[in-house]
Amino acid sequence: MTSRKILNFTFSLSFSIIVVVGIFSYTHIKDLIKSYDKVSHTFKIITELNKTHHYLTAAENNLKEYLIFNNNIEEPFYKNIQKLDNSFTRLKALTENDSTHQQKLKELNILIPKLLVFYNKTLKSLKEGELNPTKFNLAFIKNKKIEAIRYEISNIIRYEEKILNFQKEKSYNGLINTPIIIYVILIITLIIVLYTYFRTSKNLKKLESKNESLEIFKTASDQAEIACKHGNWSLFLDDLRYEFSDNLYRLLGEKPQSFAPTSENFMAFVHPKDLKKLRKQIKMMLVAKNLPPVYYRIIKKNGEISHFKTFGKIITNKYGGTKILGTTRDITEEIDHYKLLEERNRTLERKNKELNSFNHVASHDLQEPLRKIQTFISRLEDKETDNLSEKGLQYLLKIKNSATRMRALINDLLHFSKVTKPKEVLELTDMNIALEKANKELEELITEKQAIITADKIPIITAIPFQVEQLFINLISNSLKYSKDDTVPNISISYSKVKAINYSKIKNPKFKYYHKLTFKDNGIGFNKAYAEKIFALFNRLHSRGEYSGTGIGLSICKKIVDNHQGYIFAEGEVNKGATFEIFFPKIKN
Amino acid sequence: MQEKEIYILLADDDEDDRLFFTDALDELKIKTKVKTFNDGVALMNYLNDKSNLLPSILFLDLNMPKKSGVECLSEIKKDDYFKDIAIAIYSTSASEADIEDTFVLGANIYIKKPNDYKKLKKTLSNIVTINWQYDTSNLNKDNFLLRL
Repeated sequence: MTSRKILNFTFSLSFSIIVVVGIFSYTHIKDLIKSYDKVSHTFKIITELNKTHHYLTAAENNLKEYLIFNNNIEEPFYKNIQKLDNSFTRLKALTENDSTHQQKLKELNILIPKLLVFYNKTLKSLKEGELNPTKFNLAFIKNKKIEAIRYEISNIIRYEEKILNFQKEKSYNGLINTPIIIYVILIITLIIVLYTYFRTSKNLKKLESKNESLEIFKTASDQAEIACKHGNWSLFLDDLRYEFSDNLYRLLGEKPQSFAPTSENFMAFVHPKDLKKLRKQIKMMLVAKNLPPVYYRIIKKNGEISHFKTFGKIITNKYGGTKILGTTRDITEEIDHYKLLEERNRTLERKNKELNSFNHVASHDLQEPLRKIQTFISRLEDKETDNLSEKGLQYLLKIKNSATRMRALINDLLHFSKVTKPKEVLELTDMNIALEKANKELEELITEKQAIITADKIPIITAIPFQVEQLFINLISNSLKYSKDDTVPNISISYSKVKAINYSKIKNPKFKYYHKLTFKDNGIGFNKAYAEKIFALFNRLHSRGEYSGTGIGLSICKKIVDNHQGYIFAEGEVNKGATFEIFFPKIKN
Repeated sequence: MQEKEIYILLADDDEDDRLFFTDALDELKIKTKVKTFNDGVALMNYLNDKSNLLPSILFLDLNMPKKSGVECLSEIKKDDYFKDIAIAIYSTSASEADIEDTFVLGANIYIKKPNDYKKLKKTLSNIVTINWQYDTSNLNKDNFLLRL
């Protein structure tokens, strides 16, 4: 249940309890008043009855006094009779609506006038002196009316007392329960009030902390807007009203909320050439309820031009209101960076092209004169050896060697520039055929050195065929070149499919599996310290006198393996041999 | 030995290469008649003159001023008049692109200029003695580039 529902529930519960308590108390008190009225009514009746009895007795005593003391009691006697009459009239009035009382008073109503007649007669007789005490007493004793009246009165009083008792009992029950009920109700109300209080204060606390985090969030968002150079805006679709965030104003070079957030006010900043485009997009946004990214320029008041990117998304809130929430970003810097990067890329491409053509031209055009030098040398050797002195022959040999070396360099450079060319197409390559071709290329050297080359069967690998061939040629010729003079060169080529994670040497592998080719020889090897250095361009571990080499061969190998997103590692031990491990990525087709 | 001399043309802008070429042919024990041209335009003028005798073999350098070897090759191959001439490309470089282009255009063989005079002689000897009438039948890309 949500806190609002709980609040509503407790409110209506307390409300109904209070209403019930009110109604209950009202009827209860009304009952009490009624019962009080009844009691006082009964008391009045009893009082009047007693009074009636009293005046009756008083009148009787007056008569007795007259008899005994012969005092003139006429005046008090009539007064008492009058009072008796009054009292009885009141009594009748009091019991007017009560049939039981009326019934009971009926008897008295007959008896009392009769008694009064008797009293008057007695008084008359006394006045005339006809009555002596004996006669008087006899008359009173004979007259049963007094006794009857007394009896009736006490009867009625008893009846009233019974009513009084019943009433007392009834109101007593009501009275004794009233405080308990009121107390219980008060306690319940108190509990509800307390519960509501704690609940409300808890919710208030929650609300406060939420408010606080919202405040923090707003500040953070403001700061983020400033840092990321973007501003937010909302378009309320119900009344087409806009709201701009502070930073949107800042992006326009204005103070926050310094002008009304309307479409027209914003458009005033937009570059005239982009105005039409942006208007069209906004119009489409109102129809499509969506704003795909739109790019445009704005002109700040100081004349500065910024590039903006704006996009928006429709949002429907809980209460059914819909608005488009948009983000506008100042992408001037990005565009500048992009332009700079593009420029640099172009320069780099141009330089690369120049370098490539330079490489190509250098290698090709250098070959031309070199070939002639070599041809002339061969003609000298062929025809003019007899005419040369021994020194001359020596010089000729040195020229020949230098020319040969130059050719090797040019050839290697050509190869290197060939494998540097980007965008070679990868295709399914039969490695066994590539190896065969490489062996054929090196046939002369292999035969000369009587080398033994053994190879595992290698599967078909996605690669650039001519580069793989070049790689094999370079690795095998490298092993042949650095073979030991007194040992038959033995080169073994083994294959296995491996998982990248099993080789810590493979840094940040892009692929899960690799084809691993291992070229192992029994040549002169090399110092472990040079394991990485040997792949560097023009890096040679040996002087030219010992071993011929251009220092390009292994660089080409590295380049080729890099082109395949593979890895090449060298391991060696002086006088034991060298091992080259090549990892080709296993590309799923 | 052949009785009839073989008529050979060479179009090459390099004077030294023309010298090596004629010297090497002279030293062969095959009877040949050689005529050389400095550029493609001179070669085509000569060929297009119907009064001139057509050669058996034409050695064509690719890199020439005025008209390149490739241009000459395509012109020659377009004209049925020259269908009996065997064409050997004779170039310093042996780039994949050049080999591909000239093969497609219909050259018979591609020779990379050797850097050894003895090799040059051997190469020319091989080329000149091929019976081109028979050999064009098994023309394919694998043996297009001459290997020695």
